[in-house]
Amino acid sequence: MDLRFTAADDAFRAEVRDWLGEHLRGEFAELGGAGGPGREHEGLETRMAWERELGAGGWIGLELAPEHGGRGATLIQQVIFAEEYARAGAPARVNHVGEHLLVPTVAAFGSEEQRQRFLPPILRGEELWCQGYSEPGAGSDLAAVRTRARLEDGRWRIDGQKVWTSLAAHADWCFVIARSEPGSERHRGLAYLLVPMRQPGVEVRPIIQITGTSEFSEVFFEDAETDAANIVGAPGEGWKVAMGTLGFERGVATLAQQIGFERELEAVIASARESGAIADPAIEERLVDAWIELRTMRYQALRTLSSPAGESASISKLLWAPWHQRLGELAIDIAGPEATLVGEAYELGGEQALFLYTRSDTIYAGSNEIQRNIIAERMLGLPRG
Amino acid sequence: MDFSFNQDQQDLREAIRAFLDRHAGPAAVRVAIEDDDAFAREPWARLVGEMELTSLAIDLERGGAGAGFVEVGIALEELGRTLLPVPYLGTVAAAGAIADAEAAGAEAAPALAERIVAGAVAAVAIDEPAPEAAAAVAAGELRLDGVATHVLDGAHAELLVLAAELDGEPALLAVELNAEGVSVEPQKTLDQARGQATVRMAGAPAVRLSAPGDGGAAVARAGQRLAIAQALESVGAASRCLRVTVEYLKERVQFGRPIGSFQALKHRCADLAAELEAARSTAYYAGWAVDGAPEELPVLAPMARAVCGEALLRVAGESIQMHGGIGFTWEHDAHLYFKRAKASELLAGGFRAQRRLVGTRGGIVGASR
Repeated sequence: MDLRFTAADDAFRAEVRDWLGEHLRGEFAELGGAGGPGREHEGLETRMAWERELGAGGWIGLELAPEHGGRGATLIQQVIFAEEYARAGAPARVNHVGEHLLVPTVAAFGSEEQRQRFLPPILRGEELWCQGYSEPGAGSDLAAVRTRARLEDGRWRIDGQKVWTSLAAHADWCFVIARSEPGSERHRGLAYLLVPMRQPGVEVRPIIQITGTSEFSEVFFEDAETDAANIVGAPGEGWKVAMGTLGFERGVATLAQQIGFERELEAVIASARESGAIADPAIEERLVDAWIELRTMRYQALRTLSSPAGESASISKLLWAPWHQRLGELAIDIAGPEATLVGEAYELGGEQALFLYTRSDTIYAGSNEIQRNIIAERMLGLPRG
Repeated sequence: MDFSFNQDQQDLREAIRAFLDRHAGPAAVRVAIEDDDAFAREPWARLVGEMELTSLAIDLERGGAGAGFVEVGIALEELGRTLLPVPYLGTVAAAGAIADAEAAGAEAAPALAERIVAGAVAAVAIDEPAPEAAAAVAAGELRLDGVATHVLDGAHAELLVLAAELDGEPALLAVELNAEGVSVEPQKTLDQARGQATVRMAGAPAVRLSAPGDGGAAVARAGQRLAIAQALESVGAASRCLRVTVEYLKERVQFGRPIGSFQALKHRCADLAAELEAARSTAYYAGWAVDGAPEELPVLAPMARAVCGEALLRVAGESIQMHGGIGFTWEHDAHLYFKRAKASELLAGGFRAQRRLVGTRGGIVGASR
């Protein structure tokens, strides 16, 4: 047990810091932390250009082996990069779904041809991805998906509807779970398909959220096509591949996310000082609690790095999602009556956006109730209902 | 950056757990509580003699194992699981303060460390409520007057490390509890698995552990180690308590099915598990920091104490509820964990107060940064 960074780690940190110092300039620096939660729509074009800058620097998919275009970065190096990135106040990443969900999936389950085709454009920051999992009738119960795929004349043809798809309006590709065996049920008979978004058979309709903004969309597939080769794993193995994607969380993303939380909390503390709200003992208590809990989440994430367990992602989510919600509540309480007013076109201030957007934290990526089931059944061994 | 226990540390944990499973099961705990004034003497003799747990972190030169606080933390956590009434917490807290004193050049420290290696039981009075004691030099000897209350396991200790006033400033001292001028009065305790005593000193001979000018800091360091030790103990206790509860939920059948299949109970267990894992990570980090990052202790110690103590309090309370009627009985062990949890909170001056300390020391609120 040694919780310090090594000299090699420090050298890597210096490299990251130098690179960011040199490249995060001009229009990129002006973006600030744009694109955070509830603000995915901000400065998208410049952020895409920034993604390409990152890609050229070799900072996308840095954990991949050199033969797949990565740096073979260790977990700790990934953490260091994420920490420095967040500390530099660099723009929110656009292609999280591609880099952190699709890349490890293709690296682990894909064919060599698929790796050659799909990894490099993500690593260069050129191709954007979205995730086609949830459906109107398959939210928490993902195995209830009804989107169908059939192989015809060397093409997969896809019909169905996906929902809560982030970035769908901008994505080039979507990874889709669809039922490839007619009449199959639940986890069997599913396929994990890679589907181009820009084609006549795909229609995207944005969902206006409680924030008045739109990060998520509905995606309709009507005789949409993709090449027969664009399936990861064998037909019928889609569930295994999809669950693999969810299992890639090993604490790195959590630690990166926490740096963002730290900045949000600092801003909330600063506003409480500025407004004098910190003199209210109840506010003071909530601020201290938030600070303590964020620390404990960091220790938890660090321990997860060293000994990942299948349930650690669920534990992490049960900790951070309610924490983030409470931070949003605290932020708007500190803002007081002024936070009851919005802009002409319902533009929100930071504390209003945080307060509203964080309601989604306990719902998306597996609702917290689902996470509780996972912990109860897989970690504690309690019987299924 | 490595948060994992090495092979030796894992072996140590296995060995302690195997020993405790064999010799310190719930029945042994009950016997010690009910027939032996909260002191499991036989297991203790073997934990000290054969397993040498009290000398784990004592220097090799003094005859100790030369390990560190992480190893002590493993023992604290494992003992915490069982609630076995043994004076381990006080003894290692004292040993830590003595080692600290030796590093600062205190003359009395080496001999005291060797006493602990030889099996001496020690207690501490450095925490809340602070002892009301003052020392002065009389006829060339240091003499101590005052009273220390709520001294954990005080009735079984031969040595007491305490905070007292000396030359108008705080100091860390050691006093022999069987010396003339010392009386030790055992108290009956809410937490049946941990005794307390009131120690009265009237002209008791004492030795000085802290250097002039460093007394306040030495007392603070000793208090921080004690707080982190309690955090590790609490994590152990909460783990066992949750485990026992989950096992019960798998077995207890109502409405024709194990009640552990009901989401109303599963989800509460999951929430407790998440809170406990975060507390465990905090305790492990703090345990490492005792030797690895002492500059972080002023913030970490109250944080770990509060977070881990609260986790135990919540798990123990929920354990009673989820056990139903049987959990409310004297016969069942659930109340032992619940009482330990509350006693730990009260002796910390309240976890809310510990959190406030984090707030001021962490620079989040208040002027003290």
